[in-house]
This record gives sequence, structure tokens and C-alpha cells, in this order.
Amino acid sequence: MGAFDPRIFRLDASGCNGCDVELVEMTALAPLAKLGVSLVDQPADANVLVVTGGANFKSRPELEAAYGALQAPKIVVAVGSCAATMGIFKGGYAMAGPPDAALPVNLYIQGCPPGPQAIFRALAHAFELPTSGLEHLLEVPAAHRGHPQVDQAKCIGCAACVNVCPAQAITLEDRNGEREIRFTHQDCIFCATCQDVCPSQAISLDTQVAPWFGAKDASHSISRQPLAQCLACGGAYAPAEQIRWSMKKIAETIAMDANVQAQFERSIAICPACRRSSLAESRHAKAILTWVTREASRRPANGGVESKRSGR
Amino acid sequence: MSGTGTAAGKPQDGVIVYDPRLCTGCRYCELACSVWHTGRIEIGKSRLRVLFSESGPERFAAVNCQHCDDPLCAAVCPSETIRKDAATGWVLLHAATCIGCEMCVLACPLAVPYFDEALKVAAKCDFCYGDPECVKHCSSGALRIVPKSEALTMNEAQYLSAKE
Repeated sequence: MGAFDPRIFRLDASGCNGCDVELVEMTALAPLAKLGVSLVDQPADANVLVVTGGANFKSRPELEAAYGALQAPKIVVAVGSCAATMGIFKGGYAMAGPPDAALPVNLYIQGCPPGPQAIFRALAHAFELPTSGLEHLLEVPAAHRGHPQVDQAKCIGCAACVNVCPAQAITLEDRNGEREIRFTHQDCIFCATCQDVCPSQAISLDTQVAPWFGAKDASHSISRQPLAQCLACGGAYAPAEQIRWSMKKIAETIAMDANVQAQFERSIAICPACRRSSLAESRHAKAILTWVTREASRRPANGGVESKRSGR
Repeated sequence: MSGTGTAAGKPQDGVIVYDPRLCTGCRYCELACSVWHTGRIEIGKSRLRVLFSESGPERFAAVNCQHCDDPLCAAVCPSETIRKDAATGWVLLHAATCIGCEMCVLACPLAVPYFDEALKVAAKCDFCYGDPECVKHCSSGALRIVPKSEALTMNEAQYLSAKE
């Protein structure tokens, strides 16, 4: 250990307390005093400020005051996704963060929340703590969730991941006949919801350990999908791959004769906005649906069909 | 408003049919639908739509859920959020499990389900769980509830005869 003795003051800048619980857990597991790290109660006694939470209008002045009172070298550690990017509170009406908008942050520890091991590992590296004999505190827990990586070959571009992401880490842009789905890793909270909902199993979370870094992570994962053009209006409306996937999924449960199949393929090649605004298209659509319903009614009731179909 | 008086589970044999010859284009059905489902007069949130044409041989058409026996929206739904209720025959969408993939919007030839940008889920006709507001507020009788077999005969005559 060098001459630097970390004296930590911890400030909750309007987080949910999840990170604070993990910090307490870390202080319970790691023999901090033995390693030369102390926890202090006043910012004026500290030289390290550990901040959790994304900073709202009430806590931001407190954060700035604590930083002002800090002793040199004024090291700021942002613990958790909120402290890095405001996490799930991004866009909230009360938010005035993230903390690095108010003061320079030296170390980000990502996670929602980061586990005690992740926090200790980052602090041990940053402060060059002697960790021999403490290897168990540096281990990555089993079933650890890292960043989502999207497989462009499997992605169908439906954007379910974009719509479910609670941290707005996944964004969508349709331009020049192409849809781009971007996973911005610094915004990720590792909840794995995108992985869970993906209809084509195109997303998997890597096992990279909860990262820590001196600057915000610039990495991302991207899927680009060409968009199909509407037969009627010519506008780009849905990824071609999503249309193919939909037709394949429907063919698994509903059999259409060649004529109806051709009409259905034509209908799905027209954008939903055109389909629901044209009298002629609505008649075509009702013809398809009447045919499908007639075929279903001719089928013997419960004639060995699976539960997904009507039993009537 | 919506969600009250749910009679799901009660056997039911009616479906909604629409007769364009009787429609006056008053759009009360759309207003009633949006009020019942969202509490607001907002035609954009209506689960059915009435279409107009000033010229054309047909003056009116409706985009209304057929509650199909083999629903394409349910067949395509990857999260099994849309299901045909076995007892009532209604094709219902359970918003709590919707993942927002918009596959149903794409698959339905009528594009009956629509994507609610504010809620990030799809929405569609739920038959008002037994007593459709659109039918109740239709002054001309263009929207009616008829037994399933009768509806099929009517729809066959209206939509399939011309083609076959």
C-alpha cells in the first residue's frame, strides 16, 4: 500500500438504497480497517467520496457541498448504474444528475446494484490494496449477468427489447430503409429483460464482470435490419426479417390453401396503417379472416388440436 | 372503467357483425369504445374504426375484431399474451405480459391490434367482456351481435362470394 490512506465518506444522492445495502455488505465482508481504508462520518474528514444514486434536485446541492468539503486528492467513486447514468430514473422529472454532471468522477462501478465483490474488486484495484488472502472477495459470483450482446443473424428487428428496457439503454432508429437497434452498455442495468423477451433468442448477456472504469463505457452492441416497403404507400414499415418470422410462426399453427396464403402474403406486405385505413383492404382482410374462421369451424371440435386453438 | 364486470368464463356464442349498408358514419361506436377502454374521448384509442369514402361503390367499412376461430394475432404472439378464451370465444390480449414486439399488428390482415406508444404494449378489442359498447351505441343497427354460425354465413356472403 502506498502513502495514500483512503478515508471514505458515503453519500446517497437519491438512489433506491440498493447500492447502499451492497456497500454495507461490502464493508461487512472486507476487513477494510486492516487494509488501511477507513469510513468517516463527515465529508471534511474524507478524501474519497462514494456516491450512490442519480442525484435529484434536492441531493445535487448536498453532493456539491460534500465534494467541496472533501480533502485532496478529492477522489469520487460512483457506485451503481444511477450514479453513472441515472439508470432507471433517467428522464424523471426530479432528476438533476447524473453525479458527473456536477463533479468529476474518477471511478464508475457498474451494476444495479453492483455486488459487494464487484465494489471491493474495483476499490482494491483503484487504491492498490493488498488483497492476498482475500481472493474469495474478488471472485465473480456464479450466474453473473454482464452486458447484452445481440446476434444480428438471429435478430428480427421487432424492437420488443427497446420497448421493455427499463433503463432506455436500447434505442431504435429507422433511417434509409434500415432499422438500427443499439444496446448502449453504459446505460445497461443488467436486468436481462431484453434477453427474456426476445422472440428469436438473439440476445444473450455476456459474463463480463460488473465493469469498473475511469471513464464511462463507450461499448455497445448493434443490430441492423433492412426494412420492408409497403406495397401501397411505399413507406418503410417493418423489418423484412420480422415479416418472414411472423409468417413462419403462423404457418406452424394455421394451414391456409394456396389462394388464401397468397392473399395473406400480400396483406402482410402492406403496412398496418394502410391496411386499417383503406376500405378495399379491409374487405380483403375480412375475406381472409372469414376463410380462416370457416376452415376452423369445419374442423371437428377438439379433434386432436393443441390447446392454443379454440376448443369450440 | 375497463376491467369492471368481467364475465370471462361465461359461455357465449355471439360475435359482432358489421353491415356497411346500415352504417351512417356517426362514429359513436368509436367514441364509446375509447371512453369505455381509456376513460377518454379519443378516437385514436378506439379498438374499432369506421372508414369512409366519398366516391367509391362502398361508402363505409369497419375495421373491427372478428374474434377469429384461428386468430392470426394469437398464432404469431411470441409471449402467448393473446389467447382465444376457450369458454367465451373472445380473443383477449393480456397487457401485463405483452412484450411490445408488434407482431400482432403486423400479422392481423385487418391490423386490428394497434401499438399504444404511451404504454408500450399492444391493445385490441376485448368484447368489453360481454357487452360491447360499440354495439350498444350503434343507433342504426349496423353493428350487431349475432350467433356465431349466422355471422359466418353473413360474412361468407359479404366477403367470400365475390371471389369464389
